Amino acid sequence: MSFMPKIKIDGKEYIAKENETILQCAQRNGIYIPRYCYHPSLSIAGNCRMCLVEIEKMPKLQTACSTIVAEGMNVFTSSEKVKKARKDVLEFLLKNHPIDCPICDQAGECYLQDYYMDYGLRKSRVSLNEKVRRGKRRQLGDYLILDNERCILCTRCVRFCEEVTKTSELFVANRGDHSFIDIKPETSLNNPYSLNIADICPVGAFTSADFRFRQRVWFLKTTESICLGCATGCRIKVQHNDNTVYRILPLPNEETNTWLCDFGRMTYKEMYSEDRLNHITIESQEFGLDLDKVFDYIKEVKPQEIAVFLSPNLSIEDNIALYYFASNVLKTENIFIPSLPERKIEDGILKNSDPYPNSTGIEIIANKLKLKKDEKTSEKFALVISSLEIAKTYARDSKGIFFSLTKSDMNGAIVPMKSYFENEGTFVNWQKYARKTTVSVVNEKAFSVFDVMKRLAVLFGSNSFFSSLKDIEKFISSNGIDKEFK
Amino acid sequence: MKILLDKISFDIETYIRNGGYLAIKKAFSMKPAEIIEEVKTSNLRGRGGAGFPTGLKWSFIPADKKNKYLVCNSDESEPGTFKDRELINKNPHSLLEGMIIAAYAIGANEGYIYIRGEFAKEARILEKAIYEAKKKWFLGENILKSGFSFNIKVVRGAGAYICGEETALLESIEGKKGQPRLKPPFPAIVGLYGGPTVINNVETLATVPWIILNGGKAYSAIGKGKSSGTKLFSVSGPVKKPGVYEIELGTPFKDFFENQLGGMKEGERLKAVIPGGSSVPVLTAEEAMKVTLDYESLQSAGTMLGSGGMIIIPERQCMVEALWILARFYHHESCGQCTPCREGTGWIEGILKRILQGKGKREDLNNAKEIAQNMMGKTICPLADALAMPVISYINKFEKEFVYHLEGKCPLCQK
Repeated sequence: MSFMPKIKIDGKEYIAKENETILQCAQRNGIYIPRYCYHPSLSIAGNCRMCLVEIEKMPKLQTACSTIVAEGMNVFTSSEKVKKARKDVLEFLLKNHPIDCPICDQAGECYLQDYYMDYGLRKSRVSLNEKVRRGKRRQLGDYLILDNERCILCTRCVRFCEEVTKTSELFVANRGDHSFIDIKPETSLNNPYSLNIADICPVGAFTSADFRFRQRVWFLKTTESICLGCATGCRIKVQHNDNTVYRILPLPNEETNTWLCDFGRMTYKEMYSEDRLNHITIESQEFGLDLDKVFDYIKEVKPQEIAVFLSPNLSIEDNIALYYFASNVLKTENIFIPSLPERKIEDGILKNSDPYPNSTGIEIIANKLKLKKDEKTSEKFALVISSLEIAKTYARDSKGIFFSLTKSDMNGAIVPMKSYFENEGTFVNWQKYARKTTVSVVNEKAFSVFDVMKRLAVLFGSNSFFSSLKDIEKFISSNGIDKEFK
Repeated sequence: MKILLDKISFDIETYIRNGGYLAIKKAFSMKPAEIIEEVKTSNLRGRGGAGFPTGLKWSFIPADKKNKYLVCNSDESEPGTFKDRELINKNPHSLLEGMIIAAYAIGANEGYIYIRGEFAKEARILEKAIYEAKKKWFLGENILKSGFSFNIKVVRGAGAYICGEETALLESIEGKKGQPRLKPPFPAIVGLYGGPTVINNVETLATVPWIILNGGKAYSAIGKGKSSGTKLFSVSGPVKKPGVYEIELGTPFKDFFENQLGGMKEGERLKAVIPGGSSVPVLTAEEAMKVTLDYESLQSAGTMLGSGGMIIIPERQCMVEALWILARFYHHESCGQCTPCREGTGWIEGILKRILQGKGKREDLNNAKEIAQNMMGKTICPLADALAMPVISYINKFEKEFVYHLEGKCPLCQK
C-alpha cells in the first residue's frame, strides 16, 4: 500500500496521495489555487509564480504546482501573505502587458482578467511609455496568430510542442523582459494539434485564426458532444450562438482525450460549406424537401434488387432505422456492412487510422443481427441505400438513395442530411465507448436518416416501422446490441 | 596566514616543489567517507557566495549511485568579484588537486570546470594544467595506481551571468539555454545529465588539499567562530592598493582597510562598502568600520560575506548612478523565466534611470523599494533578490542623494 500523507490546507485536514503536489491535492478537494504555467497535462515549469502558497515552518512562499505534499504539512492558500504575493505577481505580469482587452479576442476567457478581478484590483503604477513593446499579430501557422505583447511567457505552448506533439517548433528567444515566444527558422506551426495551443494559452497571446473576431466568447453557448472526425470519438464542447456553431473545443476526459486535433475542430465547417445540400436532388433535378419524390424514385424497383449498406458515418439509431426499413418494409435480405479499416491510434496522440466515427458500432450491429460484410464484388444491385461516402465505394454504377451533407454528382436521389451537430445519435468509438451527439443548432432544411425511413415506410404502406427514437432504443436493447457498449 | 596564495606556482614542477600533489597521495590512503568527515570538521563553507558547508554538501551524494559528477563553478561574473581568476592564474594546480580529492570523496569519475567565457587566458591556463597533470598521472585512468579514475573537461561559458547559478550552469554544460532549474530535486540527487552532482566554487575546491594535508581541525582553528579558514577578497575602488587579498576570516574591516589596502587614495573619502559582491546590501563607512570580515558579523550588520568581491565607494560617487548601473546589469542578466524577476528588474531600472535623469517623481522612491520588496523570495533563483537587496539598502541609507535627483541637481554626478 502506498503512503498517504495527511496534510492541512487552510486549517482543514486532508489525506493526500503519495507524490501529489499541493496544487493537485487542493484542487481535488475543491480549493482552487490560481496558476498560469501549470497545466495538468504538461510538465511543471514553476515560472509564473502565481501559485505561491505559505507553508508552516518555511520562511519563503512555495509554488504549489511543484511542491510535493509531505506528512504534517500545514499549507495556507489564502493568508494575507499569499494574497499579497498574488497581487504582486499579477502586477508584475501586467507591467508590460498592453491591456488591450477591448480589441483582444481572449477577453472573457482570459486568466489575466479573471485573476485581476479576484486578486489584483490595483491601480496601475506604470505609464504606457514605460512598457516593453513586442511584436503583434504574427501568423505562425494556418490556424494560429501570436501576439507577443500579450504573452506572459508561461511556456505552456513551448512545452506542448515539446512534450505532446514532439515537434518543438516554439522556443523562448532572448532574455529577461525582452523574452518572447518565437518559432524556429524555416518551420511553421502546422502540427496537426496546433489549435490546442490557442486553448492552453491562458492569455490573448495565441488566438485561433479560425475563431478570432467572429464572436465574443460571452455570447457563446456550449453543448457537450463528440467529435466524428475519426474512430477515436473525442469528447468535445460545441460552442454556438444564434443557431451557428463557432468553434469546437476538447472536453478533457480520462477515457479518450485531453486534446483535440485541428481536423476534428474543423469538422463543423462542412455544415457551412457552399456545397451544403438543402433540397432533395434526383438525377440532377431539384425537388425541395418532398420525400414523396424519393418514394416515386424507388417504388418500381424490386426489393431483392435493393441493397442497404449500414454506414460507419451514421449513428447507431440511423443504422438501425436503415436495417429495419430494409428487413421489415422492403423485406430484402441484402443488408450489408462495408469493409472497415483497422482501428488504432496512429500518431500516439489521438488520430485514428479509421476515419469513420462508428465502425465499431456497425460491427456490433452486424454481429448481433448476423449481417453480411462487403458484397460489392459478388452481386450487382439496381439500387443502393446508404450514406453518400459509403455509396461512393459500393454503388458507383447503381442508382440509390444517398444521404449527404453536401452536393454530389452521384447518380441517384441525394437526400440532404442533418449533420450530427444538428441531430442526436449514438456513436461507438474504437474502444467501444458509446457516446451521444447533442443537438447544438437546428436545421430544418435537412433530414435525419430516421425521418426519411419513417416517411418512406408510410409511403410503402407499412405500419410496423418505428414511430419514435424510443422504439429504436427498445430494439437496440432487446437485441442485446447495447450490451457490447462501454 | 595564507593557504591559497601562499606559494605561487604557475606550472606543475613548481607546484610539486612547493609540496603540491602530496594531498592526493594522502587522500587515496583514506576512505572517501573519512575525507568527507575531515572536510566537515574543517568547517569549510562554500566560497562562491552562499556559504553552504562543503562537507555537508558532499555527504548528500548517494554512495551507491553511478554517473556522478563534480563540477567546478568558475563562472565568476558577479560585478566586483575577481578572486577566482587570480587563483587560477597563480595556482591552477591547487584547484585540480582539490577537484581530484573531492571527486574521490564523492565517487565521481568525471569533472567539469565551467569557466566564464571572458576568461580566455585562464581557460588556456587550466587546459595546460590538466595536460601537465595527466602527464604526471595525477589525472586520467587509475590515478597513481589507486584504482580511481578521474578526468576533467573545461567548458567555457558564453557570457551569461545567470550561468553562475549552479543549476543554470548545469543546463549550460548540457548545451541548453542557461536557466535555473526548479528545485527540488537538488543537484546532489539529479544534477548534470541526471546524475548526482556536486558543484563547488574554485576557491572552495582549492582549499581542500590543505585541509587533507593539515587536517580539518587545523583549518577550523583558523578564523573566527563558525567562520573558519581564510578567504580571498577582491578589492576594487579608489584605495591605495586594490587587488586580491587572502585574509583570515574574522579580520576587522578597519584593520584590513587601513593596514593592507592602505586606506583611500589621496583626496578620496570613504563613503560606502559593498563587502561581498554587487548583490549584497551596502554598508555605510561608519557601519563598515564596525564589522569584522566573516559570515556572522556581516550578517548581523544586515549584509553578507558573499563572494568576497569588495567594492569601495568614495564620497564623490553618486549612489543613484551606482545603483542604476547595478540595476542595468541585473535587468540585462535576468533569464526571464520567473515573472517577478523578469518584469521587476526592468521596471526598477527604468525608475532609477528616470530618477537619475532628473525626471523622477516623488513616489518613485517608495515604488522602487516596494517593487524590490515584492520581488524578494518569490523566484526560482536568487537573481531577483540580488537586485532587490541593493535597491532597498541604497535607498534607505543614501536617500538624501536620491532626493537631490528628484529635486534638481545632484552635487555629486552633476546630472
